[in-house]
Amino acid sequence: MTAHLDSGPAHPPRIGVDHPVAQPVHAASYDQLDDHELLRLHVAGNPDTFGFLVKRHRDRMWAVAIRTLGEPEEAADALQEAFISAFRRADSFRGDAKVTTWLHRIVVNACLDRIRRRQVRQADPLPEDEDRAAELAGPAEDDPAEVRERRIDVLNALKQINPDQRSALVLVDMEGYSIEEAAAILGCAPGTVKSRCARGRARLLPLLRHWQTTRGGSDLPEKTAAETVGTE
Amino acid sequence: MTDSGLPTSEHLEHLDTDTIADLIENLLPAAEAHSAREHVKACPDCQLTYDALLELSEDLAEEGRSDIPMPADVAEHLDAVISSEAVMRASTVGVHSLVQIREEPHRHVPKLLGAAAAVVLVAAVGVGVVVATKDRAGENAANTNPTAILPTGTPSLSLSQIAPEAQRWLEKGDGAPLLNGSATEIACAKVFASGRPNPQLRLVQPAKVDGKRATVIGLQGGSPRDIQLFVVTGCNDGSGAAAPYYDTTVTLRNR
Repeated sequence: MTAHLDSGPAHPPRIGVDHPVAQPVHAASYDQLDDHELLRLHVAGNPDTFGFLVKRHRDRMWAVAIRTLGEPEEAADALQEAFISAFRRADSFRGDAKVTTWLHRIVVNACLDRIRRRQVRQADPLPEDEDRAAELAGPAEDDPAEVRERRIDVLNALKQINPDQRSALVLVDMEGYSIEEAAAILGCAPGTVKSRCARGRARLLPLLRHWQTTRGGSDLPEKTAAETVGTE
Repeated sequence: MTDSGLPTSEHLEHLDTDTIADLIENLLPAAEAHSAREHVKACPDCQLTYDALLELSEDLAEEGRSDIPMPADVAEHLDAVISSEAVMRASTVGVHSLVQIREEPHRHVPKLLGAAAAVVLVAAVGVGVVVATKDRAGENAANTNPTAILPTGTPSLSLSQIAPEAQRWLEKGDGAPLLNGSATEIACAKVFASGRPNPQLRLVQPAKVDGKRATVIGLQGGSPRDIQLFVVTGCNDGSGAAAPYYDTTVTLRNR
Protein backbone atom coordinates (compact mmCIF):
# COMPACT_ATOMS: atom_id res chain seq x y z
CA MET A 1 0.00 0.00 0.00
CA THR A 2 1.43 3.34 -1.00
CA ALA A 3 -0.40 5.29 1.64
CA HIS A 4 2.59 7.42 2.56
CA LEU A 5 3.26 10.36 0.36
CA ASP A 6 6.90 11.37 0.14
CA SER A 7 5.88 14.56 -1.53
CA GLY A 8 4.60 17.27 0.74
CA PRO A 9 1.90 19.73 -0.11
CA ALA A 10 4.24 21.72 -2.30
CA HIS A 11 4.42 18.96 -4.91
CA PRO A 12 1.56 18.07 -7.17
CA PRO A 13 0.63 14.39 -7.18
CA ARG A 14 2.57 12.14 -9.49
CA ILE A 15 1.33 9.04 -11.15
CA GLY A 16 3.27 5.79 -11.24
CA VAL A 17 6.62 5.58 -13.00
CA ASP A 18 5.34 2.89 -15.33
CA HIS A 19 2.76 5.31 -16.65
CA PRO A 20 3.62 7.17 -19.86
CA VAL A 21 2.68 10.52 -18.31
CA ALA A 22 5.25 11.13 -15.61
CA GLN A 23 4.70 14.85 -15.45
CA PRO A 24 2.84 16.51 -12.60
CA VAL A 25 -0.87 16.03 -13.10
CA HIS A 26 -3.07 19.07 -13.45
CA ALA A 27 -6.78 19.17 -12.90
CA ALA A 28 -7.65 18.93 -16.56
CA SER A 29 -5.56 15.83 -17.13
CA TYR A 30 -7.27 13.86 -14.34
CA ASP A 31 -10.07 13.37 -16.81
CA GLN A 32 -7.74 11.27 -18.94
CA LEU A 33 -6.86 8.85 -16.14
CA ASP A 34 -8.83 5.64 -15.85
CA ASP A 35 -10.88 4.74 -12.79
CA HIS A 36 -8.20 2.50 -11.27
CA GLU A 37 -5.59 5.21 -11.53
CA LEU A 38 -7.89 7.84 -10.00
CA LEU A 39 -8.69 5.55 -7.09
CA ARG A 40 -5.05 4.59 -6.60
CA LEU A 41 -4.06 8.25 -6.42
CA HIS A 42 -6.89 8.88 -3.98
CA VAL A 43 -5.66 6.11 -1.68
CA ALA A 44 -2.15 7.53 -1.96
CA GLY A 45 -3.46 10.79 -0.53
CA ASN A 46 -4.39 12.82 -3.56
CA PRO A 47 -7.27 15.08 -2.47
CA ASP A 48 -8.76 15.70 -5.92
CA THR A 49 -9.04 12.42 -7.76
CA PHE A 50 -12.00 11.01 -5.84
CA GLY A 51 -14.08 14.02 -6.86
CA PHE A 52 -13.31 13.26 -10.50
CA LEU A 53 -14.37 9.67 -10.01
CA VAL A 54 -17.66 10.86 -8.51
CA LYS A 55 -18.28 13.26 -11.39
CA ARG A 56 -17.60 10.54 -13.90
CA HIS A 57 -20.08 8.05 -12.47
CA ARG A 58 -22.68 10.09 -10.66
CA ASP A 59 -25.38 9.84 -13.36
CA ARG A 60 -25.10 6.05 -13.37
CA MET A 61 -25.27 5.91 -9.58
CA TRP A 62 -28.12 8.42 -9.49
CA ALA A 63 -30.10 6.15 -11.80
CA VAL A 64 -29.59 3.19 -9.46
CA ALA A 65 -30.51 5.19 -6.37
CA ILE A 66 -33.57 6.92 -7.77
CA ARG A 67 -34.96 3.65 -9.20
CA THR A 68 -34.42 1.80 -5.95
CA LEU A 69 -35.66 4.53 -3.62
CA GLY A 70 -38.11 6.47 -5.77
CA GLU A 71 -37.64 9.73 -3.89
CA PRO A 72 -35.00 12.33 -4.76
CA GLU A 73 -34.20 13.34 -1.17
CA GLU A 74 -33.71 9.74 -0.15
CA ALA A 75 -31.65 9.03 -3.26
CA ALA A 76 -29.45 12.08 -2.63
CA ASP A 77 -28.90 11.08 1.01
CA ALA A 78 -28.12 7.49 0.07
CA LEU A 79 -25.62 8.57 -2.59
CA GLN A 80 -23.94 10.97 -0.20
CA GLU A 81 -23.59 8.21 2.36
CA ALA A 82 -22.34 5.81 -0.28
CA PHE A 83 -19.72 8.15 -1.73
CA ILE A 84 -18.41 9.14 1.71
CA SER A 85 -18.15 5.49 2.59
CA ALA A 86 -16.37 4.74 -0.70
CA PHE A 87 -14.02 7.71 -0.11
CA ARG A 88 -13.00 6.27 3.26
CA ARG A 89 -12.94 2.61 2.29
CA ALA A 90 -11.08 3.09 -0.99
CA ASP A 91 -8.06 1.15 0.29
CA SER A 92 -10.24 -1.95 0.62
CA PHE A 93 -10.88 -1.92 -3.12
CA ARG A 94 -9.38 -4.95 -4.83
CA GLY A 95 -7.65 -3.97 -8.03
CA ASP A 96 -8.91 -6.96 -10.02
CA ALA A 97 -12.52 -5.74 -10.00
CA LYS A 98 -13.96 -2.83 -11.94
CA VAL A 99 -14.19 0.38 -9.96
CA THR A 100 -17.76 0.88 -11.17
CA THR A 101 -18.75 -2.58 -9.91
CA TRP A 102 -17.33 -1.74 -6.50
CA LEU A 103 -18.99 1.70 -6.39
CA HIS A 104 -22.24 0.28 -7.65
CA ARG A 105 -22.31 -2.27 -4.86
CA ILE A 106 -21.70 0.40 -2.20
CA VAL A 107 -24.52 2.52 -3.64
CA VAL A 108 -26.92 -0.43 -3.77
CA ASN A 109 -26.16 -1.28 -0.14
CA ALA A 110 -26.67 2.32 0.97
CA CYS A 111 -30.05 2.35 -0.79
CA LEU A 112 -31.11 -0.95 0.78
CA ASP A 113 -30.08 0.34 4.21
CA ARG A 114 -32.40 3.29 3.68
CA ILE A 115 -35.27 1.02 2.68
CA ARG A 116 -34.77 -1.12 5.79
CA ARG A 117 -34.72 1.93 8.02
CA ARG A 118 -37.84 3.23 6.36
CA GLN A 119 -39.57 -0.10 6.87
CA VAL A 120 -38.67 0.00 10.56
CA ARG A 121 -39.95 3.56 10.79
CA GLN A 122 -43.35 2.97 9.22
CA ALA A 123 -44.37 6.58 9.92
CA ASP A 124 -42.76 7.71 6.68
CA PRO A 125 -44.78 6.36 3.76
CA LEU A 126 -43.72 7.07 0.22
CA PRO A 127 -45.45 10.09 -1.20
CA GLU A 128 -47.79 9.05 -4.00
CA ASP A 129 -47.21 12.22 -5.91
CA GLU A 130 -47.14 11.64 -9.63
CA ASP A 131 -45.83 15.13 -10.31
CA ARG A 132 -42.57 14.26 -8.64
CA ALA A 133 -41.61 11.81 -11.37
CA ALA A 134 -40.81 14.58 -13.81
CA GLU A 135 -38.42 15.98 -11.25
CA LEU A 136 -36.83 12.56 -10.73
CA ALA A 137 -36.26 12.09 -14.40
CA GLY A 138 -33.73 14.91 -14.58
CA PRO A 139 -33.43 18.06 -16.65
CA ALA A 140 -35.78 18.05 -19.64
CA GLU A 141 -33.33 19.38 -22.19
CA ASP A 142 -30.91 16.46 -21.78
CA ASP A 143 -32.89 13.71 -23.46
CA PRO A 144 -35.36 13.16 -26.28
CA ALA A 145 -38.99 13.38 -25.17
CA GLU A 146 -39.79 9.69 -25.61
CA VAL A 147 -36.76 8.58 -23.62
CA ARG A 148 -37.82 10.90 -20.84
CA GLU A 149 -41.42 9.76 -20.99
CA ARG A 150 -40.47 6.12 -20.75
CA ARG A 151 -38.13 6.89 -17.86
CA ILE A 152 -40.94 8.68 -16.00
CA ASP A 153 -43.32 5.77 -16.67
CA VAL A 154 -40.87 3.25 -15.26
CA LEU A 155 -40.06 5.37 -12.21
CA ASN A 156 -43.77 5.89 -11.52
CA ALA A 157 -44.53 2.21 -11.92
CA LEU A 158 -41.59 1.15 -9.73
CA LYS A 159 -42.80 3.47 -6.98
CA GLN A 160 -46.12 1.67 -6.88
CA ILE A 161 -44.83 -1.81 -6.14
CA ASN A 162 -43.56 -2.91 -2.75
CA PRO A 163 -39.96 -2.05 -1.89
CA ASP A 164 -38.81 -5.69 -1.65
CA GLN A 165 -40.10 -6.51 -5.11
CA ARG A 166 -38.73 -3.24 -6.42
CA SER A 167 -35.22 -3.84 -5.05
CA ALA A 168 -35.14 -7.35 -6.50
CA LEU A 169 -36.35 -6.18 -9.91
CA VAL A 170 -33.97 -3.24 -10.06
CA LEU A 171 -31.04 -5.52 -9.22
CA VAL A 172 -31.92 -8.44 -11.47
CA ASP A 173 -33.85 -7.01 -14.43
CA MET A 174 -32.50 -3.48 -14.58
CA GLU A 175 -28.94 -3.73 -13.25
CA GLY A 176 -28.24 -7.21 -14.55
CA TYR A 177 -27.15 -8.94 -11.35
CA SER A 178 -27.56 -12.71 -11.33
CA ILE A 179 -30.16 -14.20 -8.99
CA GLU A 180 -27.32 -15.47 -6.75
CA GLU A 181 -25.58 -12.07 -6.62
CA ALA A 182 -28.85 -10.33 -5.86
CA ALA A 183 -29.59 -12.87 -3.11
CA ALA A 184 -26.21 -12.17 -1.53
CA ILE A 185 -26.74 -8.40 -1.70
CA LEU A 186 -30.28 -8.61 -0.35
CA GLY A 187 -29.40 -11.18 2.30
CA CYS A 188 -32.08 -13.67 1.33
CA ALA A 189 -32.41 -17.00 -0.47
CA PRO A 190 -32.20 -17.14 -4.28
CA GLY A 191 -35.75 -18.53 -4.34
CA THR A 192 -36.97 -15.44 -2.52
CA VAL A 193 -35.32 -13.20 -5.10
CA LYS A 194 -36.94 -15.15 -7.94
CA SER A 195 -40.31 -14.96 -6.27
CA ARG A 196 -40.01 -11.20 -5.63
CA CYS A 197 -38.98 -10.66 -9.25
CA ALA A 198 -41.88 -12.75 -10.58
CA ARG A 199 -44.47 -11.02 -8.40
CA GLY A 200 -42.92 -7.63 -9.09
CA ARG A 201 -43.18 -8.19 -12.85
CA ALA A 202 -46.79 -9.28 -12.46
CA ARG A 203 -47.50 -6.00 -10.58
CA LEU A 204 -45.58 -3.88 -13.09
CA LEU A 205 -47.17 -5.40 -16.18
CA PRO A 206 -50.53 -3.60 -15.99
CA LEU A 207 -48.77 -0.37 -14.95
CA LEU A 208 -46.52 -0.45 -18.00
CA ARG A 209 -48.98 -1.98 -20.44
CA HIS A 210 -49.42 1.37 -22.15
CA TRP A 211 -45.68 1.67 -22.45
CA GLN A 212 -45.37 -1.76 -24.03
CA THR A 213 -48.21 -1.33 -26.52
CA THR A 214 -46.90 2.03 -27.70
CA ARG A 215 -43.60 0.34 -28.37
CA GLY A 216 -45.23 -2.05 -30.81
CA GLY A 217 -45.97 -4.75 -28.26
CA SER A 218 -49.07 -6.86 -28.45
CA ASP A 219 -52.48 -5.77 -27.25
CA LEU A 220 -52.84 -7.38 -23.90
CA PRO A 221 -56.24 -8.64 -22.90
CA GLU A 222 -57.79 -6.82 -19.97
CA LYS A 223 -58.31 -9.36 -17.27
CA THR A 224 -60.98 -9.02 -14.68
CA ALA A 225 -61.07 -10.72 -11.32
CA ALA A 226 -63.95 -12.91 -12.50
CA GLU A 227 -61.97 -14.31 -15.40
CA THR A 228 -58.87 -14.88 -13.38
CA VAL A 229 -58.24 -17.85 -11.18
CA GLY A 230 -55.34 -18.26 -8.87
CA THR A 231 -53.54 -21.46 -8.16
CA GLU A 232 -53.44 -21.17 -4.41
CA MET B 1 -56.17 -25.82 -13.15
CA THR B 2 -55.88 -29.51 -13.61
CA ASP B 3 -58.20 -30.05 -16.58
CA SER B 4 -56.49 -32.55 -18.82
CA GLY B 5 -58.89 -32.50 -21.75
CA LEU B 6 -58.17 -29.00 -22.98
CA PRO B 7 -61.28 -27.09 -23.92
CA THR B 8 -61.22 -24.35 -26.51
CA SER B 9 -59.74 -21.11 -25.35
CA GLU B 10 -62.99 -19.23 -24.82
CA HIS B 11 -64.02 -21.76 -22.20
CA LEU B 12 -60.74 -21.65 -20.37
CA GLU B 13 -60.38 -19.95 -17.07
CA HIS B 14 -57.34 -17.76 -17.49
CA LEU B 15 -54.27 -18.11 -15.35
CA ASP B 16 -53.59 -15.07 -13.23
CA THR B 17 -50.53 -12.98 -14.00
CA ASP B 18 -48.76 -14.09 -10.78
CA THR B 19 -49.01 -17.73 -11.84
CA ILE B 20 -47.65 -17.00 -15.29
CA ALA B 21 -44.80 -14.93 -13.80
CA ASP B 22 -44.04 -17.80 -11.39
CA LEU B 23 -44.10 -20.24 -14.30
CA ILE B 24 -41.47 -18.17 -16.10
CA GLU B 25 -39.23 -18.22 -13.01
CA ASN B 26 -39.72 -21.99 -12.54
CA LEU B 27 -41.31 -21.42 -9.18
CA LEU B 28 -44.32 -23.70 -9.60
CA PRO B 29 -44.37 -27.31 -8.34
CA ALA B 30 -43.86 -29.78 -11.17
CA ALA B 31 -47.49 -30.84 -11.65
CA GLU B 32 -48.80 -27.31 -11.52
CA ALA B 33 -46.06 -26.10 -13.84
CA HIS B 34 -46.99 -28.76 -16.35
CA SER B 35 -50.69 -27.88 -16.46
CA ALA B 36 -49.92 -24.16 -16.51
CA ARG B 37 -47.56 -24.65 -19.43
CA GLU B 38 -50.18 -26.67 -21.30
CA HIS B 39 -52.74 -23.98 -20.62
CA VAL B 40 -50.52 -21.19 -21.88
CA LYS B 41 -49.91 -23.14 -25.09
CA ALA B 42 -53.62 -23.53 -25.68
CA CYS B 43 -54.81 -20.10 -24.55
CA PRO B 44 -53.88 -17.12 -26.74
CA ASP B 45 -54.68 -14.60 -23.99
CA CYS B 46 -52.39 -16.25 -21.47
CA GLN B 47 -49.74 -16.69 -24.15
CA LEU B 48 -49.91 -12.93 -24.68
CA THR B 49 -49.44 -12.30 -20.97
CA TYR B 50 -46.56 -14.79 -20.94
CA ASP B 51 -44.85 -13.01 -23.84
CA ALA B 52 -45.55 -9.61 -22.33
CA LEU B 53 -43.85 -10.61 -19.07
CA LEU B 54 -40.77 -11.76 -20.95
CA GLU B 55 -40.80 -8.56 -22.94
CA LEU B 56 -41.15 -6.55 -19.73
CA SER B 57 -37.88 -8.00 -18.40
CA GLU B 58 -36.12 -7.10 -21.62
CA ASP B 59 -37.58 -3.60 -21.58
CA LEU B 60 -36.53 -3.10 -17.98
CA ALA B 61 -33.02 -4.27 -18.85
CA GLU B 62 -32.88 -1.81 -21.71
CA GLU B 63 -34.14 1.02 -19.52
CA GLY B 64 -31.67 -0.02 -16.81
CA ARG B 65 -28.75 0.56 -19.15
CA SER B 66 -29.54 4.25 -19.45
CA ASP B 67 -28.21 6.75 -16.92
CA ILE B 68 -30.33 9.44 -15.34
CA PRO B 69 -28.70 12.86 -15.10
CA MET B 70 -28.22 13.87 -11.49
CA PRO B 71 -30.05 17.14 -10.77
CA ALA B 72 -27.63 20.09 -10.65
CA ASP B 73 -28.34 20.97 -7.01
CA VAL B 74 -27.75 17.40 -5.87
CA ALA B 75 -24.52 17.21 -7.88
CA GLU B 76 -23.29 20.51 -6.51
CA HIS B 77 -24.03 19.48 -2.97
CA LEU B 78 -22.32 16.14 -3.44
CA ASP B 79 -19.21 17.91 -4.76
CA ALA B 80 -19.17 20.11 -1.67
CA VAL B 81 -19.48 17.10 0.64
CA ILE B 82 -16.64 15.28 -1.13
CA SER B 83 -14.47 18.42 -1.03
CA SER B 84 -15.08 18.82 2.67
CA GLU B 85 -14.26 15.14 3.18
CA ALA B 86 -10.98 15.73 1.32
CA VAL B 87 -10.22 18.80 3.42
CA MET B 88 -10.87 16.83 6.61
CA ARG B 89 -8.54 14.08 5.45
CA ALA B 90 -5.92 16.63 4.42
CA SER B 91 -6.06 18.25 7.84
CA THR B 92 -5.20 14.92 9.47
CA VAL B 93 -2.76 13.68 6.82
CA GLY B 94 -1.20 17.03 6.03
CA VAL B 95 -1.75 16.98 2.29
CA HIS B 96 -3.66 19.89 0.81
CA SER B 97 -5.59 19.95 -2.39
CA LEU B 98 -3.73 22.05 -4.89
CA VAL B 99 -6.78 22.23 -7.11
CA GLN B 100 -8.94 23.36 -4.21
CA ILE B 101 -6.45 25.93 -3.03
CA ARG B 102 -5.97 27.21 -6.56
CA GLU B 103 -9.65 27.31 -7.47
CA GLU B 104 -11.24 28.20 -4.17
CA PRO B 105 -8.60 29.91 -2.07
CA HIS B 106 -11.05 31.61 0.28
CA ARG B 107 -13.23 28.67 0.83
CA HIS B 108 -10.74 26.05 1.90
CA VAL B 109 -7.60 27.63 3.23
CA PRO B 110 -9.17 29.45 6.16
CA LYS B 111 -10.94 26.23 7.10
CA LEU B 112 -7.60 24.44 7.20
CA LEU B 113 -5.99 27.19 9.24
CA GLY B 114 -9.03 27.17 11.48
CA ALA B 115 -8.63 23.46 12.00
CA ALA B 116 -4.99 23.86 12.92
CA ALA B 117 -5.81 26.68 15.30
CA ALA B 118 -8.55 24.61 16.88
CA VAL B 119 -6.16 21.75 17.51
CA VAL B 120 -3.73 24.11 19.24
CA LEU B 121 -6.52 25.49 21.39
CA VAL B 122 -7.99 22.14 22.43
CA ALA B 123 -6.44 22.00 25.88
CA ALA B 124 -7.17 25.59 26.86
CA VAL B 125 -10.75 25.74 25.58
CA GLY B 126 -11.54 22.26 26.83
CA VAL B 127 -10.41 22.92 30.39
CA GLY B 128 -12.23 26.24 30.42
CA VAL B 129 -15.48 24.68 29.32
CA VAL B 130 -15.30 21.89 31.85
CA VAL B 131 -14.67 24.33 34.70
CA ALA B 132 -17.35 26.73 33.57
CA THR B 133 -20.10 24.18 33.15
CA LYS B 134 -19.24 22.24 36.27
CA ASP B 135 -19.68 25.45 38.25
CA ARG B 136 -23.29 25.59 37.17
CA ALA B 137 -23.87 22.11 38.59
CA GLY B 138 -27.14 21.94 36.65
CA GLU B 139 -28.12 18.76 34.90
CA ASN B 140 -29.09 20.71 31.79
CA ALA B 141 -26.41 23.23 31.11
CA ALA B 142 -27.39 23.66 27.46
CA ASN B 143 -27.94 27.13 26.08
CA THR B 144 -31.06 25.98 24.23
CA ASN B 145 -33.86 24.15 25.94
CA PRO B 146 -33.83 20.92 23.96
CA THR B 147 -36.48 19.03 25.91
CA ALA B 148 -39.22 19.66 23.40
CA ILE B 149 -37.19 18.03 20.62
CA LEU B 150 -34.69 15.57 22.05
CA PRO B 151 -35.69 12.38 23.81
CA THR B 152 -35.30 12.40 27.59
CA GLY B 153 -32.86 10.12 29.39
CA THR B 154 -30.77 7.75 27.31
CA PRO B 155 -32.90 6.31 24.49
CA SER B 156 -31.88 2.94 23.06
CA LEU B 157 -30.87 3.17 19.41
CA SER B 158 -29.18 0.91 16.94
CA LEU B 159 -26.22 2.28 15.01
CA SER B 160 -28.28 2.45 11.83
CA GLN B 161 -30.92 4.58 13.57
CA ILE B 162 -28.43 7.27 14.59
CA ALA B 163 -28.39 9.14 11.28
CA PRO B 164 -32.16 9.24 10.62
CA GLU B 165 -33.03 9.99 14.26
CA ALA B 166 -30.46 12.78 14.62
CA GLN B 167 -31.59 14.18 11.29
CA ARG B 168 -35.18 14.29 12.56
CA TRP B 169 -34.21 16.09 15.76
CA LEU B 170 -32.08 18.64 13.98
CA GLU B 171 -34.73 19.32 11.35
CA LYS B 172 -37.23 20.08 14.12
CA GLY B 173 -34.86 22.59 15.73
CA ASP B 174 -34.38 26.19 14.72
CA GLY B 175 -30.66 25.86 14.11
CA ALA B 176 -29.63 26.58 17.70
CA PRO B 177 -27.46 23.87 19.29
CA LEU B 178 -29.49 21.02 20.81
CA LEU B 179 -27.58 19.97 23.86
CA ASN B 180 -28.87 17.24 26.13
CA GLY B 181 -27.26 15.35 29.00
CA SER B 182 -25.33 16.27 32.11
CA ALA B 183 -23.01 19.25 32.22
CA THR B 184 -20.04 16.87 32.28
CA GLU B 185 -21.20 15.06 29.19
CA ILE B 186 -21.82 18.29 27.26
CA ALA B 187 -18.45 19.67 28.32
CA CYS B 188 -16.77 16.48 27.12
CA ALA B 189 -18.55 16.89 23.76
CA LYS B 190 -17.28 20.46 23.55
CA VAL B 191 -13.73 19.34 24.11
CA PHE B 192 -14.19 16.69 21.43
CA ALA B 193 -15.66 19.29 19.05
CA SER B 194 -12.81 21.72 19.56
CA GLY B 195 -10.39 19.16 18.19
CA ARG B 196 -12.28 18.75 14.92
CA PRO B 197 -11.91 20.77 11.69
CA ASN B 198 -15.42 22.19 12.22
CA PRO B 199 -15.68 22.74 15.97
CA GLN B 200 -19.22 24.16 16.00
CA LEU B 201 -21.36 21.96 18.26
CA ARG B 202 -24.90 21.36 16.99
CA LEU B 203 -26.10 18.33 18.92
CA VAL B 204 -25.33 16.38 22.07
CA GLN B 205 -27.59 13.47 23.02
CA PRO B 206 -26.83 10.67 25.47
CA ALA B 207 -27.96 7.30 24.13
CA LYS B 208 -27.62 3.58 24.48
CA VAL B 209 -26.29 2.59 21.09
CA ASP B 210 -26.59 -1.12 20.39
CA GLY B 211 -26.70 -1.59 24.16
CA LYS B 212 -23.59 0.47 24.83
CA ARG B 213 -23.76 3.77 26.72
CA ALA B 214 -22.58 6.43 24.30
CA THR B 215 -23.01 10.05 23.33
CA VAL B 216 -24.24 11.25 19.94
CA ILE B 217 -22.44 14.43 18.93
CA GLY B 218 -23.35 16.56 15.92
CA LEU B 219 -20.97 19.14 14.47
CA GLN B 220 -21.53 21.69 11.74
CA GLY B 221 -20.37 20.16 8.46
CA GLY B 222 -18.95 21.68 5.31
CA SER B 223 -22.19 23.47 4.40
CA PRO B 224 -24.96 24.88 6.63
CA ARG B 225 -27.16 21.89 5.79
CA ASP B 226 -24.58 19.24 6.60
CA ILE B 227 -24.12 17.88 10.08
CA GLN B 228 -21.31 15.51 10.92
CA LEU B 229 -22.47 12.96 13.44
CA PHE B 230 -20.21 11.09 15.80
CA VAL B 231 -20.99 8.37 18.28
CA VAL B 232 -18.45 8.49 21.10
CA THR B 233 -17.88 6.64 24.32
CA GLY B 234 -16.16 8.00 27.42
CA CYS B 235 -18.17 11.21 27.79
CA ASN B 236 -20.47 10.00 30.56
CA ASP B 237 -18.01 8.45 32.97
CA GLY B 238 -16.25 11.61 34.08
CA SER B 239 -12.96 10.75 32.40
CA GLY B 240 -13.80 13.39 29.82
CA ALA B 241 -12.03 11.65 26.95
CA ALA B 242 -14.40 11.10 24.03
CA ALA B 243 -13.54 8.09 21.90
CA PRO B 244 -15.42 8.18 18.58
CA TYR B 245 -16.26 4.83 17.03
CA TYR B 246 -18.79 5.79 14.36
CA ASP B 247 -19.29 8.84 12.22
CA THR B 248 -21.42 9.87 9.30
CA THR B 249 -22.81 12.99 7.68
CA VAL B 250 -26.48 13.89 7.37
CA THR B 251 -27.95 16.64 5.24
CA LEU B 252 -30.83 18.64 6.68
CA ARG B 253 -33.62 19.18 4.19
CA ASN B 254 -35.11 22.28 5.68
CA ARG B 255 -32.07 24.54 5.77
